Amino acid sequence: MTALLLFGIAGGAWAVAAICALPAGTLGGAMRLSCGFSALGGVVAVAGGISSLLSGDSRVVSPGGSSVVGTLQLQATSLAGVFAVLLGVVAVAIALYLPRSRKDAATATPAYLCAYNFALVASLVVLAAGGVPTFLVAWESMALLCYVLILHRPRSSQVASGAFWFLALSEAGFVLIVAAFVILAAKTGSLELTVIAARAHLISASWRNTAYLMALAGFGFKAGLVPLHVWLPEAHPVAPADGSAFLSGLIVKLGVYGIALFAFRLLPEGAAWRGILTMGIGAITAAIGILYAMAERDIKRFLAFSTIENIGIIVTAFGAAMTFLAYGQRALWAFLLLAGLYHVLNHGCYKTLLFLEAGITEHAAGSRDMDRLGGLARAMPRAGVIAFVGTLGIAALPPLNGFVSEWLIFQGLFQGFRTHSDLVAILIVVAAATLGLTGGLAIYAFVRGYGIPYLGMPRTLRAAEATERGQPVAGPGLLAVACVALAVGAPVVLVGLARAIRTATGVSLRPILLPGKLTVIPAHTNFSGFSPTYLTVFLLAVLVVPVLIYLAGRPRGSSVVVPVWDGGTLAFKPRMQYSAMTFSAPTRVIFDALYRPEVSVQRASDDPAGRSGPVHYESQALPVFEKYLYRPVVGAVEWLAGVVRPLQSGDVNLYLLYVFLAVLVAYLVAAV
Amino acid sequence: MPQWFVKGLRRGVVTTRYPARPDPLAAILPGPPAFRPDALTSRIAEDLVRICPSRAFARAGGTLIFDAGACTACGRCRDQAPAAVTVSGEFELAATDRSALIKRIPLRGEASTDEVTA
Amino acid sequence: MSSEPGAPAAMPAGLDATADELRRRIARQFGRSLHIRTLDTGSCAACEQEIRMLAAPHYDLHRLGFFLTPAPRHADLLLVTGPMLRAFASAARKTYDAMPSPKFVVATGACALGGVYQPDEFSYGSVAAHLPVDVWIPGCPPSPLALLQGLMVAVDRMAEKASQLTFIAGGTL
Repeated sequence: MTALLLFGIAGGAWAVAAICALPAGTLGGAMRLSCGFSALGGVVAVAGGISSLLSGDSRVVSPGGSSVVGTLQLQATSLAGVFAVLLGVVAVAIALYLPRSRKDAATATPAYLCAYNFALVASLVVLAAGGVPTFLVAWESMALLCYVLILHRPRSSQVASGAFWFLALSEAGFVLIVAAFVILAAKTGSLELTVIAARAHLISASWRNTAYLMALAGFGFKAGLVPLHVWLPEAHPVAPADGSAFLSGLIVKLGVYGIALFAFRLLPEGAAWRGILTMGIGAITAAIGILYAMAERDIKRFLAFSTIENIGIIVTAFGAAMTFLAYGQRALWAFLLLAGLYHVLNHGCYKTLLFLEAGITEHAAGSRDMDRLGGLARAMPRAGVIAFVGTLGIAALPPLNGFVSEWLIFQGLFQGFRTHSDLVAILIVVAAATLGLTGGLAIYAFVRGYGIPYLGMPRTLRAAEATERGQPVAGPGLLAVACVALAVGAPVVLVGLARAIRTATGVSLRPILLPGKLTVIPAHTNFSGFSPTYLTVFLLAVLVVPVLIYLAGRPRGSSVVVPVWDGGTLAFKPRMQYSAMTFSAPTRVIFDALYRPEVSVQRASDDPAGRSGPVHYESQALPVFEKYLYRPVVGAVEWLAGVVRPLQSGDVNLYLLYVFLAVLVAYLVAAV
Repeated sequence: MPQWFVKGLRRGVVTTRYPARPDPLAAILPGPPAFRPDALTSRIAEDLVRICPSRAFARAGGTLIFDAGACTACGRCRDQAPAAVTVSGEFELAATDRSALIKRIPLRGEASTDEVTA
Repeated sequence: MSSEPGAPAAMPAGLDATADELRRRIARQFGRSLHIRTLDTGSCAACEQEIRMLAAPHYDLHRLGFFLTPAPRHADLLLVTGPMLRAFASAARKTYDAMPSPKFVVATGACALGGVYQPDEFSYGSVAAHLPVDVWIPGCPPSPLALLQGLMVAVDRMAEKASQLTFIAGGTL
C-alpha cells in the first residue's frame, strides 16, 4: 500500500508542477517552482519504486473511474517498480537540467513544461496500471503528450515530420496493443491484470501466441525494435534535448515494460519458439542499431540509433529468458530477466545523461553536427568529464554499470547449453555472438562519439568559443554519479532486483546470485563469477602503481612544452583531423551491403587531380526500411483510400441511399 | 612459401657478420682516393682542384687539402692522374668531428708548410 | 655533445673532455636499443636506398639493436641526408625539436656534409648549417656497411677510425 501511496504523491507532485508551469512565461519563479515539484515527484517516485521492489505486488486499488474510460485500477508491482525507479531518476535529472537550459527560452515553454509533467504522470499510471482500460488510456495519453513535447520547437517541416513519424508509429502500435489486451480480456473474462495473469493458462495456445505476437509488435513500435524503429532517428533530433532524453530514457523503456509485462507476467508459459523469435529480433535490432549509428554525424541521431541497439540487447535477454523457461531452466529464466532489468536501469541513466549533454553541447557550441565540434573537453571541462562517464557506461567498459549488466546478460546467454537441445543452444550462442559484435561496434562508435566532438582541436570558430558558464551541470552530474553508483553498488542493486524477481517469477535468486557479500554468480555456481565492487577497487589500485612509479622516478628538472608533432607541416589546420565520417569509414566499407550508399561526386573541372576548383562529394545511406517497408505500406493505404473515396462523394442523395440501405439490412438481419 | 623455405635453406645465412668480422663485399665498394705524395706534383694538385665536381680539393702552399666528407667517389681524380691517385679501399669513414675528415697531403718535393692559401 | 652550427670549434680543454665523456655515457645508454628517424632534406634518394637496405636481411640492423621509426617522438637519432633545402628547413627544425632529449643527429652523404652543392638561394649546402650534427658519415651514397659503422660510432660501440686515416697510399691508411 505504501508504494501506491508514494506513487500517488509523486503523481500529485507532477500534476502540481504542470499547473505551476502554466504561468512560466510571465511569472519569474514559476518555472523554478515547477521544476522543484517535478524533482520532488521524481524523488518520491524513486522511493515508491524501491518500496514496491522490496515489498512485492500490492493489491489492486480502484479509486473510481467513469463509464467512459472504465474503472481506474492501480497496482504497484515489483516489475513496474524497477521502471518507476528509472522514471524518478530521469525526472529528477531533467528537472535539474531544465531551469538553466531554458534561461533564454522561447515562448512555448509553459505548454512544454505542462505537457512534460503530465506525460510523467501518464507514464507513472502506465506503470501502476492494474487493469486494461487504465493501461490503455494512460498509454495513449502518454503518447499524445509526447507528441506535444516533440512539437515544442519553432515550427519547421522537419519538426513536424519527426513528430508525425512518432505519432503515426505510436498509433500503429497502439492498435496492436489494444488487440492483444482485448484478446486476453475476452478470453479470461476479466479486465484486471492479476486475474488475467492467473487465468492465462486456461486460454488456448494459439490465442496466447497471437496475443503475445501482437503485443511484441505493438510494444515493439514504442520500444524501437527493427523494423519498427524508424520513428526514433526522426523524432529525436527535432525534439529539444530534455525531450529527447525523456524519450530515450523513459518512453522507449515503457515499450520494454510492455513486452516484459506480456512475456513474464501475463503469458509466461509458452513454446520455445516465442523466446527464440524474440531473441532473434532483439539480436538483429542490436546489430542494425549500432551499424546505422556508425553512419551518423548528428549527435542526436547517433544516440537514437544507440538506443535502438541497447533495446535490442534488453529484448535479446528477455527472449533468451523465455527460451530457458520453455526448457525448464527456471533459474536462468529469472536471471536473464534480472539482467535485462538491470540493463534497463543502466541504459536509462547513461542515455539520458548523453542526451542532456548533447543539449548542452548544442547550446554552447551551436551545432549538433560532430564535424562542427571538437576540443569541447578543454573548453567545457565539467561537461567533458560527465560525458566521458556516460560514454564509458554506454560502451560497457569496466568498471562502470554498462559492463556489469552486459556481463550478466552474456553469462546468461553463454549457459545456453543447459537447454540440452543442440539447435537451441546454437541459436542462443549465435545471439550471443551478435551481441558481441554489437559490443565491439559500440566501443568503436562511442570512441567516435566522444572523441570527435570532445577531443582534438575545435573545427569551427563557434566550437572554439564554447563555454559552459551558465550551462546546466547538476542534472547530468547526478546521472553520472548514478552510473558509478549502479556499478560500484551492484550488489545492492542486485539485491533489490532479486527481490523484484522473486515476486515476479517466484524464483528466489538471491542465495545463488550473491553467495558472498560482493561476488556475483550467474545463476549456477559452477560457471563463472565476478565482483563489480572488487573490480572497481582493483582497477583503481592498479592505477596507483604507475602513478607511484611516476612520482618516484620522474625527472627532477622542469619539463618543456613543445608543439604537437604535425608531420612538419607549415600550419596544422583543424580540418586535417579525423572527421566523424572518416573515422567510421572502415566499418562502413565493410558493411557496404547494408548501407548501400548513393555517392555523387561533382568536380568543378575535369582535371583528375581536382586541382582547379572545389569537389562536391555526397554520400547517403539507403533508407532501407523507409523505402522497402513503409513507403509500400503507405502507398497501399493511399491506394485503398483512393478506391474507397468514391463512397464519399458529397452528394446528399447518395448518403440518403446509404441510410436507407443500412436500415433495410438491419431490418433483414433482425428478422432473421 | 615452401619453395622459399627450401631455397633459403640451400643458400644458408646471408646476413653479413660485420662488424664482428670483415665483410667480403667491402673490397669492391667505391670509396675516396688515396694519394702517392711522391707522384703528386703541384701541377697535378691544381688539376685536381679544378676537376673535382664536389670541390673536395684545395691547395695550401705545399699541401693538398682533401675533404673526404665531400668526396663522391666519382673517380675523376684517379682518371686524371692515375700515377698519383689510387683507390684507398676505405669505407669506415664516420667522424664525430667534421675537421677529422679534412686531410692534408704533402706535395712532391716540397716541405709541408702550414700556410693555408687556397 | 654536438657542435652548434657556426659555433667556434675550440673549447676549454677540461670542458671538452667532460662534454666528450657525457656524450659517451649517453651513447652507451642507447647502445643496445637505438631508434632512428630518417630525414630527407632534398637528396637524390640514393642515400635513402642504402638506408633502406639496412633493414634487408643482408645487413639487418635489427641484430645490432637499431630500429627505424617514423615518429620523431620515439626517435633517439636523426639520420639526415640531403643538402638541407631552404624550403625544408622549418620542417627539419620541427622534426629535430620534436625529438626528446637526449638525441643525436647523424649527417650522411656527400650532400649533407657540404660537398656537391654550394650554399645558394635554394639550399644551405650542408646539414650542419641548420642542425647541430654529432656524427658525419661520408659517401655518395654511403654503403650500408659504412652506415652501420657510423651508427656504431654514434653509440660508442665502435672506435672512430677517420681521424687516424691519412689517405696516403703505402703509408698508414
